[in-house]
Amino acid sequence: MVVAFVFLASMTLISALGVVLSRSVVHSALFMSGSFLGIAGFFVMLNAPVLAAFQVLIYVGAVTVVILFGIMFTQKPQVRGFGTIINQQIWPGLYIAIGVGAFLAYVLTIEDWTATEPGNGPREVGVLGEILLGVNGAPPIFQLLFEVISVLLLVAMVAAIVISRRKVGEGVDRQGVEE
Amino acid sequence: MPPQAQQFLDTLNTTLPLEGYLVVGAIMFAIGAWGALIRRNAVVVFMCIELMLNAVNLTLVAFADYLPGAGGVGVGYAVLVIAVAAAEVAVGLAVVLAVYRTRKTVNVDEVNLMKG
Repeated sequence: MVVAFVFLASMTLISALGVVLSRSVVHSALFMSGSFLGIAGFFVMLNAPVLAAFQVLIYVGAVTVVILFGIMFTQKPQVRGFGTIINQQIWPGLYIAIGVGAFLAYVLTIEDWTATEPGNGPREVGVLGEILLGVNGAPPIFQLLFEVISVLLLVAMVAAIVISRRKVGEGVDRQGVEE
Repeated sequence: MPPQAQQFLDTLNTTLPLEGYLVVGAIMFAIGAWGALIRRNAVVVFMCIELMLNAVNLTLVAFADYLPGAGGVGVGYAVLVIAVAAAEVAVGLAVVLAVYRTRKTVNVDEVNLMKG
């Protein structure tokens, strides 16, 4: 457990630093997928293998590919200097980030967690499904949240198409298309 | 096997305290916040926001696994957070594409369409 934890924690945190500090945007995206893989490993350690599968499918698969598409459409893949990629707030930003991290770590560790034991998570997919549907003792608010989230995904999909599509007559590849 | 080695192996096999996961989540959240504050590229700012959301997910799942009264509900909330993050990436990258099409840049310092 300790070996796996140290490995996953170093993988996650070093990849997260790589996202912030790498000078090529494509490297940032690949570091981000490494960080997501580390989080998926943590989910396996925390008795949530179904969520780890979701994490690998959605984050390492879909989100990384979508972000790589965004990179492909918007910039040349070239290495830039640190003065170009980072704005003037690097040191104030670092102090604020260290302050936030130290405050969060202090608040989370000041509590006495010695009475807690691992192994309460929903290990089977059926239990997770009951939680998501709000039945069998799960909070009934999940019935509402589940429906809201599905409508939200549909709205986001339509919104992404509407925002990013070309206007009529703009661009070149719509010539000859009947409106 | 000498007793020291056996003791070392036992130390490696002990279950971790909850604080380990929480501290990793807190540090990852801080790194994501730092990147969202300092980077100029809008796509990288999105990646850093994703890092912050993942750190919160890790904290939720750690609480769901360790706290006996939680009933594993944190995993359900983590699924909802993943869905919202996916929607956010889709809409956010569409906005970045639309801005790039009109301004020919994704530098968040230069995009000041709404500045009075």
